[in-house]
Amino acid sequence: MKRILVIALSVVLAVSAFAACSNDSTSIYVISREDGSGTRSAFTELLGIVDENENDATVGSAEKVTSTSTVITTVAGNKLAIGYISLGSLSDSVKAVSVDGVAPSVENVKNGTYKIARPFNICYKEDTLSELASDFVKFILSKEGQNVINENGYIMVSENAESYTASGLTGKITLAGSTSVSPVMDKLADAYKTLNANVEIEIQQSGSGAGIESATEGACDIGMSSRELKDTELATLKSVKIADDGIAVIVNKENTVSNLTSEQIKNIYLGKLTDWSEISE
Amino acid sequence: MTNTVSEEKKDRTKSLTRKLYKNHVGSKIIRVLVWGAAVISAAILIFLIGYIIIKGVPNLRLSLFEWEYNSENVTMLPAILNTLEMTVLTLLIAVPVGIFSAVYMVEYAKRGSKIVKIVRLTSETLQGIPSIVYGLFGYILFVLTCGWRYSMIAGVCTLAIMVLPLIMRTTEEALLAIPDSYREGSFGLGAGKLRTVFKIVLPSAVPGIFAGIILAIGRIVGETAALIYTSGSGTNFTGNITDSSRTLAVHLYCLYNEGLYMEESYATAFVLLVMVVGINALSSFIAKKITKK
Amino acid sequence: MTNQKLKPEKKKRYISVKETGMKILFLICALASIVAVIVICLFLFAKGFPAIGEIGIFKFIFGTTWKPSAEIFGIFPMIVGSIYVTAGAIIIGVPLALLCAAFLAKFCPPKLYRILKPAINLMAGIPSIVYGFFGLVFIVPLMQTITGGSGKGIITASILLGIMILPTVIGVAESAIRAVPDSYYEGSLALGATHERSVFAVIFPAAKSGIFAGVILGVGRAIGETMAVIMVAGNQEILPESILSGVRTMTANIVIEMAYSEVGSLHQNALIATGVVLFVFILLINISFSLLKRREKS
Repeated sequence: MKRILVIALSVVLAVSAFAACSNDSTSIYVISREDGSGTRSAFTELLGIVDENENDATVGSAEKVTSTSTVITTVAGNKLAIGYISLGSLSDSVKAVSVDGVAPSVENVKNGTYKIARPFNICYKEDTLSELASDFVKFILSKEGQNVINENGYIMVSENAESYTASGLTGKITLAGSTSVSPVMDKLADAYKTLNANVEIEIQQSGSGAGIESATEGACDIGMSSRELKDTELATLKSVKIADDGIAVIVNKENTVSNLTSEQIKNIYLGKLTDWSEISE
Repeated sequence: MTNTVSEEKKDRTKSLTRKLYKNHVGSKIIRVLVWGAAVISAAILIFLIGYIIIKGVPNLRLSLFEWEYNSENVTMLPAILNTLEMTVLTLLIAVPVGIFSAVYMVEYAKRGSKIVKIVRLTSETLQGIPSIVYGLFGYILFVLTCGWRYSMIAGVCTLAIMVLPLIMRTTEEALLAIPDSYREGSFGLGAGKLRTVFKIVLPSAVPGIFAGIILAIGRIVGETAALIYTSGSGTNFTGNITDSSRTLAVHLYCLYNEGLYMEESYATAFVLLVMVVGINALSSFIAKKITKK
Repeated sequence: MTNQKLKPEKKKRYISVKETGMKILFLICALASIVAVIVICLFLFAKGFPAIGEIGIFKFIFGTTWKPSAEIFGIFPMIVGSIYVTAGAIIIGVPLALLCAAFLAKFCPPKLYRILKPAINLMAGIPSIVYGFFGLVFIVPLMQTITGGSGKGIITASILLGIMILPTVIGVAESAIRAVPDSYYEGSLALGATHERSVFAVIFPAAKSGIFAGVILGVGRAIGETMAVIMVAGNQEILPESILSGVRTMTANIVIEMAYSEVGSLHQNALIATGVVLFVFILLINISFSLLKRREKS
């Protein structure tokens, strides 16, 4: 009895304590991807969010989020938030800001004016790659394959690739790796299957690290990675860039800011710039 | 007020308690608290389920139930079939092993044996280990070391190990709850140990065992982290245990992850919920059938 | 005569073969599950201990900086995070669950019970990713408007976990309450206590051990939960300043970084070592629980 009263009382106290905390702050709520994410390492590298030893120095108080859609949902629900996502995943529920006056779009990434982009890589063991799998790689880098990449909001690596002719091979290809590369790989696989009807393609969304590992260990034919491969990994694997992906910096729709300089973004993520009021239009 | 007292008694206690409430404020408060707690819990539940239904049902489309997966229709039908296959296969391994080892530990091992105690403690502890650790374990042991690559069988083995302690513990609990007089009676009538176990002890433990199985099914159907690295995210249903195949929960995870298929993920969440309800209903129906026999 | 005598003997021999055969089968099954349990433990320890050794046990457990890219591994913030979030979940979830269990066992009209009970069982079957998304879309904005902060953090994670442990705790506590003989309740009523007082002052203490088991199970579920927590806890790998600031739990730490860590690297082994610490934690909880039980018995 007494205990229950005590509990009830403490609940009331706790609620009133929260009520007292509430304020109209304008401090920036920083959202970052997890350490090791391909999106994050490209983002921090390109904007120089690093310490003197070239190590990632994203501010510790930044929220760490593990998936693109959680970043979008969080930013859509928090007026003070800032985050970054793959350009291909950008949706209407958030606002993408221009960086140094350049809007994030496929054209701007392609012509080099929008600077924040990262590679989509595939990797495989060159000497043991099956005939079918190497044909698929050929398809990805061909005109048809690169068109699929372009149609889905990613940036092709070669404008004037040779066109692909169906090989008529049959069998099964297994790919594993980055969850960011998977959606476009899904589209590529569909396109390849319409040309080569008797081919099965299996895509494992297990993360860049696991994908590279699987390719090394032979648990899959081709690994997918949204980060550059490390030297130790390149000792056994051959890495090929299949596309570029712009990284959009997003804020809440109600946020009045629509342009940030790369210096400002850098300082926000280093924890030096902490309030939206310090950012003048 | 309890279900067991007769109507007459009920009326009497009711009028009696009504009188007592007048001069006992504490009881009134508790009464309010208890009802309040029930209402809050029910509200949370209704909110949760209502949310999934409201968001999920409008997004249900026929194309979500097509046979062949592609990036346009993101069908969940293969995933549903895979989930069923995964559940059945996992239970086929985990349930007999779990029940038999519980039988050994309760009926055969010496009471108070050290090993039994240690196993009990570790298996309880393993239940709190996050499933990602199981996933990694399965990945290194089954996918890499055994060379099974990403396959249904690797997922099944990982999940079987994961739910084994659960089934073991609930069965053990159910067996321990059976009074020794049952066993003594059976022995007294001349039945052997084995016969006693299968004809007397296990049948009376069925409700308890099924409670454990239902819990295990819930875990299997809802599992993602342990499966991403073992059975992987192959999109088609082949029925072949050496093929990689995603369950519905993994399918939901894959759809949700990159934010490209939000509507479809709501619909998938709804179907997943319906599936959990269906499986729960089915297993309690089977449990009833068995106990009646 | 002789024929009739022989038959039962043969049968007996057959039975004894079957008996021992089945006994061996049971033993093999028991050994299989024991092996499974031991192999998992070995796997955890074989990968985790060398990593802890390399980093230094003190540095690993009490280090407050976690920077895998700079090879600094200190999981103290995560340990604190796990404790805070679990404690929060217990504070929020357990009173609610126990009152609910009392309601189901002693207050609920039978008609309502038939709907409520399966519904609560259903809660246990909802995958945690759905809970997580629910938390992200509902609880987080709610906390934002109440507290004015980001809405993600210890308190939000505690609320969500409090909800998630409800079915587990309710289920076990309810059956514990039901297991108390009716004579206790009736005796209490006969002495003039109200219905409520009989339930909470007589039946609850009698069902204490079962209720406690439910709470322990709830703790296990809360401390081991991942997918839902990473969506609402904020996952900052720093020591939390208040109950509103974000935290990263040990489980979240493992899931978040496992996908990207290089296999076989110190980083990955440090993550598995986090699993070992978690394992030790749960082991401690279970041991103290069984000690408590034993003391009660004696």
